[in-house]
Amino acid sequence: MTGLFPGFLILSAAMFSVGAVGVLVRRNPLVVFMSIELMLNAANLALITYARYTHTMAGQVFALIVIAVAASEVVVGLALITGVYRSGHKLNLDELSEMSE
Amino acid sequence: MTVIFGIAAVLAFLGAVGVVLSQRTLYSALSLVLNMVALAVLFLLLDAQFVAAVQIIVYAGAVMVLFVFIIALLSPGAEERVRPLELRMLFGGGLAAVFTVVIGRLALNGITVTSNGHFHGVLGPFSPNLVDSHGQVQTLGEQLFTTYLLPFEVTSLLLLVAAVGAVYLSKHRRVSP
Repeated sequence: MTGLFPGFLILSAAMFSVGAVGVLVRRNPLVVFMSIELMLNAANLALITYARYTHTMAGQVFALIVIAVAASEVVVGLALITGVYRSGHKLNLDELSEMSE
Repeated sequence: MTVIFGIAAVLAFLGAVGVVLSQRTLYSALSLVLNMVALAVLFLLLDAQFVAAVQIIVYAGAVMVLFVFIIALLSPGAEERVRPLELRMLFGGGLAAVFTVVIGRLALNGITVTSNGHFHGVLGPFSPNLVDSHGQVQTLGEQLFTTYLLPFEVTSLLLLVAAVGAVYLSKHRRVSP
């Protein structure tokens, strides 16, 4: 079990990297939000891994708080995306950034 | 244990890649569900039963239902062609590999695990045996309502702000351009 410690951390790093690249290369705001969720989940995995292997509880408590933060972020973000869509814009981040100018 | 970790880790990584590479938004959402369920399995392996349950209920339940609901409402369709061999996807893949190596090295930096699997250095008081005998949820709850009471209260404030903000954003009609 303890031999798996690097495995958990490397999986966490890989998930975070895939999420970061998703934020950078995708243009659909919904997919960008899902990539952000991916990065938050990767952080959760690292927190809980460290909590388990250093025999502390702080990691699990803050993983719960990160889940709450992610939930509220999704609520506000999806409300924003719905508002943008209803005001007649296309859901494409490149075009949206041009419209703000 | 190692076998379960291997299967769950591969599924989690495939889910993560699927989120970024899927052509359709709905498939991205389903890949994210796969990723989250696999992560819940990993949390169980790490003796975090409560967080695993919360992960399933809040993420795979509430958050993903919200995502799928919005996708169905807006129905963006296949508006964006993502070809895996496109230049930016190749660039993204290389970037992800570099990130993984750098972050992984930093995360493992300075941490030495002895051959019987314990950290060098000071360990906290919550050894797995003690947590098991006391109950995992009891231990977490006690910590949450004593040591970490302030972050917990701040989280409740954050949820309130998010709820108010979402109501305001969805009621407030913007002028069309």
